[in-house]
Amino acid sequence: MTFEPITGRYLTVTVQGRNQRIYVEMAGEGRPVLCLHTAGADTRQWRHILNDAGLTANHRFFAFDMPWHGKSLPPEGFQTEEYLLTTDAYVETVLAVARTLGLDRPILAGCSMGGRIALQLAALHADRFSGFIAIEASDFQPAWYDIDWFHRPDAHGGEMGAALVSANISPHAPEAERWNTLWMFMQSGPGVFRGDLSFYTRDDSLIARLSRIDTARTPVHLLVGAYDLTCTPEDARRTAAAIPGATCTVMDELGHFPMSEHPAGFRPFFADALARMKVPAHV
Amino acid sequence: MRATLAMMQSRLNEQPHLLRLGQLFSETVLLEVDGAEFYLTFRDGHLIQIAEGPSRKTPWRFALRTDADALAQFWQPRPRPGFHDIFGFVKIGRGRIDGDILALVKNLRFFKEFMALGRTAPQKEKVA
Repeated sequence: MTFEPITGRYLTVTVQGRNQRIYVEMAGEGRPVLCLHTAGADTRQWRHILNDAGLTANHRFFAFDMPWHGKSLPPEGFQTEEYLLTTDAYVETVLAVARTLGLDRPILAGCSMGGRIALQLAALHADRFSGFIAIEASDFQPAWYDIDWFHRPDAHGGEMGAALVSANISPHAPEAERWNTLWMFMQSGPGVFRGDLSFYTRDDSLIARLSRIDTARTPVHLLVGAYDLTCTPEDARRTAAAIPGATCTVMDELGHFPMSEHPAGFRPFFADALARMKVPAHV
Repeated sequence: MRATLAMMQSRLNEQPHLLRLGQLFSETVLLEVDGAEFYLTFRDGHLIQIAEGPSRKTPWRFALRTDADALAQFWQPRPRPGFHDIFGFVKIGRGRIDGDILALVKNLRFFKEFMALGRTAPQKEKVA
């Protein structure tokens, strides 16, 4: 029997005065990298990076399920709540997890809404990190769809969500990984994708903050797939252009979930992004 | 176009998983290609009729309006960005989806996989 090198543990953090039991996966040794999943999914999106011996030889990767996602439970009393993610709660969650894990200025790598919050953290709490890799991330994306579609009693929100986001997966993605990626959306808890989309499609507070990101202290690199209809290369380029010193690479054969949908295609771009995160001087 | 739709109709009948996904789908969909109307009537996941327009009397639940070149690109083994999904048509200004969108979204996987039945299979990539 051979286990994969990924290990998973649970920890409890306090976010906005409430306990949140968080599931964390980790692998590797070396410089810490904290990885954030997309809306409506979970840490499994990072499975190939955490299992990559070349990358884990000198990076210690951590990926955690946001509350309500994957193996992280919703908070006590959730049964009567409407889940709506906010920038404040998201920022506080990432900072609390990084602090509880004892991470010393990790690189923050986030995809989609995880990339959006990575840029918020670059603007608001850059001192807690040593660099930011924002994947399929943009300043703001209003919804062209009705987010209420994804939580209603007469239909399966997960299946509808998966069918919708499949529009963002590249036809170059291996079939097995396309469906592994979609499965996570199908499994998403009721109302969770909708609550994530509320943050992603309604909160435009990042736009005014982009110019205050100091890439001389903490580098920012954006990665965007050409097949991403949600965050297009144009969206990512516009966002990078608003951050002095930020860089952006378009990945021609990838979509919105590159680390999950096409791991082999994504790896060189992610390795390049990691190499761009210069080691911080000791304070 | 009609020949392609007939081929898709035949392929649908050979896809048990799609017929299962569409077993509650009994609607008429308007596919408009370069202004030419095709009314696709589904019953329990089967495409039972392909009727050509124009028609002002045929009710339909939702419509996909695009052009023949966009569809031809969509049906390539590995379409270019924007042509890889029916929502891509809308995003790049080569199509429009209207009508009862919720009915489409509830049956989105079924309808998108039906539309993709016109696609030829991708060639195996050569190993260097």
